[in-house]
Amino acid sequence: MKPTIEQLSAAFSDLVGTRTDTAPAAPAPVQAVDHKRKGYDFDATVASPQVVPAAEILDRLGFALDAVTGVDWIARQEMEIVYDFFHPETSLRVVVRTRVPRDNPELSTISSVFPGANWHERETHDFFGIRFLGHPNLAPLLLPEDADFHPLRKDYQP
Amino acid sequence: MESQVDTSKIVQFAKLEDVLALGRAYSLWPLTFGLACCAIEMMAVGMARWDLARFGAEVFRPSPRQADLMIVAGTVNKKMAPAIKLLYDQMLEPKWVIALGNCAISGGPFVYPGQYAVVEGVDQLFPVDVYVPGCPPRPEALIEGILKLEEKMTGKRRFPVAKLQE
Amino acid sequence: MIAQKEAPSAGPSGEAPQETFVLNLGPQHPAGHGVLRVLMTMDGEWITKAEPVIGYIHRMHEKMGENRTWAKFLPNTSRIDYLSAMHYTHAFVGAVERGAGIEVPPRAEYVRVITSELNRIASHMVWWGALLSDLGGLTPFLYAFDDRELILDLFEGICGARLTYCYYRFGGLCNDVDDDFLRGARAFLKHMPPRLKLYRDLVTNNIILRKRLTGIGLISAEMCRKYGATGPVIRGSGVAYDVRKVEPYSVYPKFDFKIPVYPECDSMARYLVHMDEMEQSLRIIEQALDQIPAGPVMGKVPRVLRLPPGDYCYAVEAARGRFMVRIVSDGKDIPYRVKLRTPSFSNLSLYEEASRGMILTDALAMLGSLDLVIPDIDR
Repeated sequence: MKPTIEQLSAAFSDLVGTRTDTAPAAPAPVQAVDHKRKGYDFDATVASPQVVPAAEILDRLGFALDAVTGVDWIARQEMEIVYDFFHPETSLRVVVRTRVPRDNPELSTISSVFPGANWHERETHDFFGIRFLGHPNLAPLLLPEDADFHPLRKDYQP
Repeated sequence: MESQVDTSKIVQFAKLEDVLALGRAYSLWPLTFGLACCAIEMMAVGMARWDLARFGAEVFRPSPRQADLMIVAGTVNKKMAPAIKLLYDQMLEPKWVIALGNCAISGGPFVYPGQYAVVEGVDQLFPVDVYVPGCPPRPEALIEGILKLEEKMTGKRRFPVAKLQE
Repeated sequence: MIAQKEAPSAGPSGEAPQETFVLNLGPQHPAGHGVLRVLMTMDGEWITKAEPVIGYIHRMHEKMGENRTWAKFLPNTSRIDYLSAMHYTHAFVGAVERGAGIEVPPRAEYVRVITSELNRIASHMVWWGALLSDLGGLTPFLYAFDDRELILDLFEGICGARLTYCYYRFGGLCNDVDDDFLRGARAFLKHMPPRLKLYRDLVTNNIILRKRLTGIGLISAEMCRKYGATGPVIRGSGVAYDVRKVEPYSVYPKFDFKIPVYPECDSMARYLVHMDEMEQSLRIIEQALDQIPAGPVMGKVPRVLRLPPGDYCYAVEAARGRFMVRIVSDGKDIPYRVKLRTPSFSNLSLYEEASRGMILTDALAMLGSLDLVIPDIDR
């Protein structure tokens, strides 16, 4: 099946609905993007409880999981979790983002929808300390088994 | 009267240690211990073009109990360090270690202020006999390292040193 | 014939089966393809659960991306997956060029394609030798490295390195290719097809290889999609996904080549995809050598490179699958975040689910057919 940008726009606009927690000058939460300039076609910013419905939308439209990662915006005391998706049959690339507060970073796991997220979320937890609620096994993946530090945080000191 | 037979041409005397060292040096059995990129160059040395078999060392053994040379080829991680130490301890005496590549010598290109995962040189874990620098070293460099190790073991270098052609 | 067995049933009083034990494979193991550790819960010779443990070669690439300038990260890119180093440098260089709006001259793009495809062949030769040595056939490794040395000689002539090249720069290449390289590449194009035929006759059509790989390690297309598996894994499951065709980059649209796809989903399908890909790479190189224009190999790049704030992605078809770089810039000359999405990471993540109930030797054959490079997983 070959989804279109219009289908994505419609589905995500329904999901995002009337969010009031975005800053007034922020870019639109759901937007099509120029692939040549950015490397992806569709960008959706969702609230952190909405990541699982967002993943379900993309699963229904036949997308495959590319990566799950985090970005530590220490200046704004927030952590951003970025989900990348690609489609096996079209060139569409979708990015779903969400933000969580830095002092209590947790959100639901999408590994029930995309089992591949299991390892990606474990790695994000290793690097940033973000807790994925409902994850079957959040033990360290790349760091030693007894690691209790999160090296990709901007205030990490070895 | 019969002429004396010159026995020195038929019978030689030597110290046992020297003979053993000669035997050990020319039949080194390396442990298959490729960690990262240098492992590919180590494999290339064992292959047909740079033929390590000429020097007797092509029999890579997977088990440390059967190997006497550990070529640490690649970066040593803090997570991996206990495993490497265990392998080194499991090897039987006499044993030698070649640190192949910059990562095994001193952590290589992965050392930066604030690094958290790399052991800065395998000689922090156990003694190293020969250091072969490079990132990765050329296969000829590894062969030169083995020849240096043989020189260390037998006290004499028996192969010519490569000279640049004028 | 596939040997599969159901999980051991509970004992007579309903307690857990007594026969399983945990077998530890690695991190030092000849079939580990590097420092991979697999904790296998075994019921005799059958695997009930195989859990890969990784991180033994974690070299902090993503953290290093945050404390050096854009250009100083280039040597790291070659060392993520050292067998297909050109592709990985291409992805990072492409992401930065996308973000900064740098134009690459056409000659540089053609040389990038030629070197990338040569690198793909070199990488597949190592994969092929390693897979066969895992299965017990030790001779092909020597033939594979023989062919590989020809490619490495060409690369040494243009960039001085045999394995970790760092040949591309932002805006083009670090230096132009000379006639020796172009002649050598053409000579390689003549040398390789008879060798591939030799490998096909002696190895691919070998009854032992066929019996050991056919029907082993079934990975469905749906599983590939859910785990994000790409490269020969997804193409051996019937899905024609290749970044060069689906999300084209560089000058790949100018070339006529096929994407080998096999629907059987087993290790033999992945093997055949690899072997066919090498032939298609030769086709691409030949067309690129015919079409390569004269001209500069370096575009205009500012002295101090700063990218506009935002995130940029670039994906390439590396030898192992889809490699994507996601860079986040905050306007400085140092990246804010570099995310490396590597193919082996996603390809290995499905191993636990796919290897349940397999016999140990088949599980290792499947591990070999996934084409893993462990530093690619651990970064």
